[in-house]
Amino acid sequence: MITVTSAARTKIVELLAQQGRAGLMLRAAVAGRGPGGFQYRLGFVGDEERRADDQATDAGGFTLLVDADSVPNLDGASIDYVDGPQGSGFKIDNPNPLWRDEAARAVQAVLDQDINPAVAAHGGWVTLLEVKDNVAYIQLGGGCQGCGMVDVTLKQGIEVRIREAVPAIREIIDSTDHAGGKNPYYQPAKGGRSPF
Amino acid sequence: MSATTYRAGAFLEAAHRLGLAVTVGTDRPQALGEQNPAGHLTLDFGDPRAATGEIVAFAARRPLRTLVAADDDGVELAARAAEALGLAHHPPAAVRAARDKLATRRAFAAAGLPVPWFEPVRLYEDPAPIAARLRYPCILKPLALAASRGVMRADDPPGFIAAFGRLRALLARADARPERGAPVTEALVEGYLPGAEVALEGLVTGGRLRTLAVFDKPDPLDGPFFEETLYVTPSRLPETAQRAVVAATQAGVAALGLSHGPVHAELRVDQGQVWVLEIAPRSIGGLCSRALRFGADVSLEELILRHGLGQEIGNVERETAASGVMMIPIPARGRLDHVAGLDRARAVPGVTEVRITIPLGQPIEPLPEGARYLGFIFARGSCPAEAENALREAHRNLSFAIQSIGN
Repeated sequence: MITVTSAARTKIVELLAQQGRAGLMLRAAVAGRGPGGFQYRLGFVGDEERRADDQATDAGGFTLLVDADSVPNLDGASIDYVDGPQGSGFKIDNPNPLWRDEAARAVQAVLDQDINPAVAAHGGWVTLLEVKDNVAYIQLGGGCQGCGMVDVTLKQGIEVRIREAVPAIREIIDSTDHAGGKNPYYQPAKGGRSPF
Repeated sequence: MSATTYRAGAFLEAAHRLGLAVTVGTDRPQALGEQNPAGHLTLDFGDPRAATGEIVAFAARRPLRTLVAADDDGVELAARAAEALGLAHHPPAAVRAARDKLATRRAFAAAGLPVPWFEPVRLYEDPAPIAARLRYPCILKPLALAASRGVMRADDPPGFIAAFGRLRALLARADARPERGAPVTEALVEGYLPGAEVALEGLVTGGRLRTLAVFDKPDPLDGPFFEETLYVTPSRLPETAQRAVVAATQAGVAALGLSHGPVHAELRVDQGQVWVLEIAPRSIGGLCSRALRFGADVSLEELILRHGLGQEIGNVERETAASGVMMIPIPARGRLDHVAGLDRARAVPGVTEVRITIPLGQPIEPLPEGARYLGFIFARGSCPAEAENALREAHRNLSFAIQSIGN
């Protein structure tokens, strides 16, 4: 069950009162996991987008829908609205662990403590998408996405450290769209200049 | 390997398939170097003595069984370190000669191989007197840059003077200069050779060449620049011509003193005469090796690693299907804004992969100054013409929006 603070409720009702939003509902979902924890998706949807397995609650002035897949990871979370000198926006406090699976928690710990602080020096980050059948699916971003040395980072660094720390992981699969990298740290070139 | 190599993935994948532990020596620090010190070595390619010492010291802690340079930039260092460690490799002097186009011409001429007329030119000199004494058409080329970068044809003295200024400006750029010291001030000018161009991929053992593939380059390479686009194998040259290509490459290998490791040779064939243009003491560049498969789905890099380890590679032959790759040319200078038609290009029958290797938003520059490929298209076919047609058709489906940027 998600709770909505009075500040968030006031803001959401205010937004729903804007032209063209009458009758819409608020949908909340876990969109993924990133370097800072869960990533969320909040948005207004019409009745035609309501699904049979959605968790629906009356939040006082509007209906809150939660994706069925997201319910366990949002149980006990609260949606707040903050407005201060640092900016304004919705904030979700979530007491749930990032991963419930033991192997996934261990892989996440390697990424948080070992890998991400190091690749941050190259403007990069590594996200764990999921662990399934002892295979870790990861995604690389920032300077790592499309980097000419990504295979070195992956095979000589990420894979080695994860296998050392979590022997149960039998394979690490990089699901990154490297062609979509916008600012890779190292970019390949033809080479051939004399080094000496 | 250089941190800007295209070749890291292919070699690491090959090592993984062979179950080998690898230490990657690069000229720039790696993000996770400290997390796996046994797997990384940062080397100063501009200080070969120190870098060789570091490799030898590393090998004393963790013995190395072979040293393989993934690309041009690391091959001289690999040769020096291999010699210091007593590992089989092309010797440093041979590698140096093979990487220097002037030294290559001199070695070929001394060994009696056919060579065009050639002479060194100093780029700080006035080009007008040089232009006045040359024969035309001629080719002006840098001594070391790879993949036809900086190579220009001149058909008359004004053309030569223009090319001369352009090459001088290119060699002064940071991305074309040596790691240390002043820009290269010498270049090579030589007679233009007509004819078809082919490439040979091989492995040398004890000075003896084993040919792995001969590629045709079906796009005419007549100048004024010499952008490599299509490589298609097997070659459609007659058997006799292919035998002559192999024999000429073997003679070139011997002339340079290359003895152990991969070679990638470029040759011209004209009316029964074969001219070896150059023999690089490394494997094919870019992502082009993905066009080669041997035996039961073995990659070129697996063969190279096994060869480096002294393993018998036996009768492994290239697959029977024809195969080709297009290095997608950069059509104009600017910023790459958008690539359209990728799905259509990938759907062309025979096309196995289309990969754009420059991110959107990045500045791009065509030859002769440019140092990158837009990407690569790979295709297979029942015959070379089928593979070539698939590559051309896929390329026709692609369009690139390039936004003009100032000089």
